[in-house]
Amino acid sequence: MIQSVLDAISLGGLYSLAALGLGLVFGVMRLVNFAHAELITIAAYTLVLTTQYPLLVSISFALIVTAFIALLMEFTIYRRLRGVNPAIMLIASFGLSTVLQRLYELMFGALPKSAVVAPFLRGDFKFFGVSITISSVITIVLTITILLLMGYIVEKTSLGLQLRAASADFKTARLLGVRSNRLIGAAFALSGVLATFVALILVIQNPQVSPYYGLNITILSLVGIVIGGIASLRGAAMGGFIVGVVLSALNTLLGNGRVYAYSWLFILVLIILLVRPGGLLSKGSELERV
Amino acid sequence: MKHNGVTRFSLQNFLGPIVVLIAVTYFIGGSSTSLQLVTQLALCLFVMVLSLQIFVGNSGVLSFGHGAFALVGSYTSAILTAPVNIKDNALSMNQLWEPLVNPQVNIYLSLLIASAISGLIAAITGSLLMRLNGLAAGIATFALLGVAYNVFFNNKKIGPGSQALPGVPLITNNWHLLLLAILALVIVYFFNISKIGRSLRATREDAMAAPSIGINIFRIRWIAFTISGALAGLAGGMYSHVAGTFQVQDYYLEFTFITLSMLIVGGSASLWGALVGTFFITAVGHILLMMEQDLPVFGIKVSIPLGSRAVIIALTFVAMLLWRSDGITNGKEFSLPKIGRK
Repeated sequence: MIQSVLDAISLGGLYSLAALGLGLVFGVMRLVNFAHAELITIAAYTLVLTTQYPLLVSISFALIVTAFIALLMEFTIYRRLRGVNPAIMLIASFGLSTVLQRLYELMFGALPKSAVVAPFLRGDFKFFGVSITISSVITIVLTITILLLMGYIVEKTSLGLQLRAASADFKTARLLGVRSNRLIGAAFALSGVLATFVALILVIQNPQVSPYYGLNITILSLVGIVIGGIASLRGAAMGGFIVGVVLSALNTLLGNGRVYAYSWLFILVLIILLVRPGGLLSKGSELERV
Repeated sequence: MKHNGVTRFSLQNFLGPIVVLIAVTYFIGGSSTSLQLVTQLALCLFVMVLSLQIFVGNSGVLSFGHGAFALVGSYTSAILTAPVNIKDNALSMNQLWEPLVNPQVNIYLSLLIASAISGLIAAITGSLLMRLNGLAAGIATFALLGVAYNVFFNNKKIGPGSQALPGVPLITNNWHLLLLAILALVIVYFFNISKIGRSLRATREDAMAAPSIGINIFRIRWIAFTISGALAGLAGGMYSHVAGTFQVQDYYLEFTFITLSMLIVGGSASLWGALVGTFFITAVGHILLMMEQDLPVFGIKVSIPLGSRAVIIALTFVAMLLWRSDGITNGKEFSLPKIGRK
């Protein structure tokens, strides 16, 4: 029971990290970056392929590689699409996601690469006689740390102020002196950093990295940010958390019917969207042309 | 300037695409066995892209859910026509639901039933989904695809689950497929020039102003969604009769991406764009496939490493979006070059 609750919270936390990465980029340029999945995937590949180095070195490698690819996406593709119809941007990110998946397949092969990352984080321990997996506790601790850190960056720093201003109204923020290129670059780099931590948590739990590794979590966090309310970072993080917790709860409650967990989740999402089209945290609906 | 599509009947807009379809089917579809299959698949995909054009192109609302209608159409048509012994053998271990084992209908009747069922599902789901706008609509339609995929992938009582259902009877005659494609084209063309089609494009251009001239956004989107769902069902059904199998995985993310990219590369605002996009992506894909297999293309032998085809197709797509985001046709309908006029 305790383990189930911990699993639910840790999955929720994980999804909220992924959702936050998506939400940051959406906030500054109205782009749903589907290729966020491939940031998670490349971070996971880097972590799995550099296990000969100490964990911290390996994580640093992953951070650098992932942030670099995130910035590369911005420079080569998204910068040129700024201001076009959000639907076109979404489709472009879908295309970019496919390009990267196939590139990974070409570079690393279609079969999963696997290596044990951070072996000391596996297994379980006893807590008042209840057996608890170390990874779920680590996930929760790591998630809370990162969320607090992100909360600090977003709420207290100048960068965070600019990010919030830009997601509220990008044009006005620019008029008030926010440098758009630098800010968008920072949002992409931060989303790369978040993707790395998501990948770190994922590979501790499942070290079988394939070209489609980050796809599932990205789709679900995408769903999460929409039901949470895409307009705000808090809504995005909360939506991701809800999706993670609900999915985990469904997996526990449905028993043999758990293969249909996704169906129930999606139906729930449909209902939430019909009741609150702008997301749970929205203040009334506004029409956006997509 | 954005082209808002045709508003009244024009013979060249209407006949141009049909002539091109006939010519492609005749010259390319008839030239070799491998090209025949490519052409047949392209005709199925063309119907699918038309189905997307009627809804996504006209309304500007992105739908990731049409794979679900194609999936249902393909499944319906396959399960209604596959020989009883195949359904019995291939699926007996999976305890296929009894009433599904025996039905046997004619291929064309099954296609009709398939599009009717898909259309009905689109009508029902659309009555809820069409209340949404923007990104919420995109995610909601994706949820629809997610539910359809999840149910069909796991439920072995209604279908083959994660396996393939083989032995679906083939439509071998190119002309039958061509007629079906032309039928879809005629439906889409007359929808696009109808009052509803024009109103729908008005809502795409300005969702605030459209209601002020008496357009009920929900109603016209719902009508377009229903017709489009039925066409997607037809496309899925045709696909199963060309491939000879039904497999759930064929109608998921990759299918959604490739058909949407065909629409957008061609130019989502016009029917002619749907045709150009389908043939362009199919041609690029086939040429790259030949390069991968070290076969000469137009007498020139260029080899590319195995597996790079998919990368290049997706890159082409992204490059096209950067180069002209309104598609190759720029959203214009087919028209003959005008001579001596400016």
